[in-house]
Amino acid sequence: MLELNNLHARVVPEDGPAREILKGLSLSVPAGEVHAIMGPNGSGKSTLSYVLTGRDGYEVTEGSALYEGEDLLALAPEARAAKGLFLSFQYPLEIAGVPVMTFVRAAMNAQRKQRGEPEVSAPDFLKLSRIAAQQLRIDPEMLKRPLNVGFSGGEKKRLEIYQMLMLQPRFMILDETDSGLDIDALKVVADGVNALRGEGRSMLVITHYQRLLDYIKPDRVHILSAGRIVKSGGPELAHELEKSGYDTVMGAA
Amino acid sequence: MIAADALPNRRVEGWRWSDLSAALSGRDVPMIPGDRHVLARIAIGARRMAGIVVNAGETRTEVERVGDEGVDTRALEIDVRDGASMSLVTIQKDGDVALAHRKVRLGQGATFRQFIIADGARYARIETEIDVAGSGAKVELNGVYLVAKGRHADLTSQVILNADHGEVRQIVRGVARKGGRGVFQGRFKVERVAQKTDARMEHNALLLEDGAEVFAKPELEIYADDVQCAHGNTAGQLDDAAIFYLRQRGLPEIEARAMITRAFLIEALPDWVDEVVREEVETRIDTWLGTAS
Repeated sequence: MLELNNLHARVVPEDGPAREILKGLSLSVPAGEVHAIMGPNGSGKSTLSYVLTGRDGYEVTEGSALYEGEDLLALAPEARAAKGLFLSFQYPLEIAGVPVMTFVRAAMNAQRKQRGEPEVSAPDFLKLSRIAAQQLRIDPEMLKRPLNVGFSGGEKKRLEIYQMLMLQPRFMILDETDSGLDIDALKVVADGVNALRGEGRSMLVITHYQRLLDYIKPDRVHILSAGRIVKSGGPELAHELEKSGYDTVMGAA
Repeated sequence: MIAADALPNRRVEGWRWSDLSAALSGRDVPMIPGDRHVLARIAIGARRMAGIVVNAGETRTEVERVGDEGVDTRALEIDVRDGASMSLVTIQKDGDVALAHRKVRLGQGATFRQFIIADGARYARIETEIDVAGSGAKVELNGVYLVAKGRHADLTSQVILNADHGEVRQIVRGVARKGGRGVFQGRFKVERVAQKTDARMEHNALLLEDGAEVFAKPELEIYADDVQCAHGNTAGQLDDAAIFYLRQRGLPEIEARAMITRAFLIEALPDWVDEVVREEVETRIDTWLGTAS
């Protein structure tokens, strides 16, 4: 479903020199699979998520990224979203003055419009929202408040997954979704994520710790270091990392 | 009749970013002599002067539209007596030169609420002068300006607190595109007698394109020692990170920008504005942003 081949990318800050972060990253995520990317701070985890979703200032200099056989890098961020790419942000943005439900409905309809589908009806939208909110144990009142404004870290993460359930993406990138969550919230969020697992849907779970992977069980685990995948394996690789640390596991690579 | 060169130009304090003399040069401006505000003198000269008295305990709401062709000028004198309440919405659009002045006096426990939406004109200035004469009065002076290329909009206001326990709230939000000029000048003067005044002024502007201009002068002048006064003033650009977030969810860039800008402006639109007018204001904003359905 997603094929990354020898991807090189650099971050171009508005002030300051460009820095190469991804240095030949290759990765293949087949449809229906959940892959985890683990790596120490600064290894390029978040850069990868921004490159895949098309954020300005992240420039691919070499290599390719194919999404269902199509050149992902040629598409605008909104076109990638309409094709089913979803990023659960490590730090979700606060959008003052825009209530959660207003925003999600606008997003849903914008995606449908790009796909040539009719708009969602108000009753259908409310029904979907009610189900998603229940699943994630979100107070419906919260959905009337401006998006993420004054929400706790945990609430913001829950809201990311709520948006995911509403938009029903086909390829999900979860960037440090476990940060800011206590164990109970983590279970609720993981249940929500797992509800979307299935044939035709894939996930890239980016995390620093193994904890999240106890609840969202990956098919494959990759270790990212200095902008490249240095080791790949089954779920046991995550446990090995947790036990021995990055240095030992990577040293053995 | 007074020549335009007798009008304040950009070298006069308070007119620096809104040169009235230049705007009216070559025009035949009828103007009465005297010591009233210059905009009121022009308005009276053009016989566009109105007085409103809101009697004790009464409530009144007015919607004023400014922006007739040519030089549209008008002045209001409003007397809000003890315990009375006045709400004024001013909608300024189009026009060549749009000038409005209002002078408001508040009695004890009186309330004056104002909301202005200005698209600007070749030259537009709406000036509000408030005299808080009675204790426990409440003032709200909100506004929105949207200036496209070739447009100028100036929202100038002055609140003089001459009595205790006054409450003043002001939120003005503005957006400017390339070649547009927005001006905000706000002044709160808290006299020695105006103890326990609680006054807050906020002006925020978004420069939507390179070459947009916004000038702001917030001023607090405080002579009483037991008061709460605050002001905030910002001018900046749309947050790229927020725009990316919206685009990642599927909104095209133009809609993402409009959504954030709209929300930013709507925060200055008060709840008390009635539904019909509110809808008109929202449509005006959407039209300006190019997203009206």
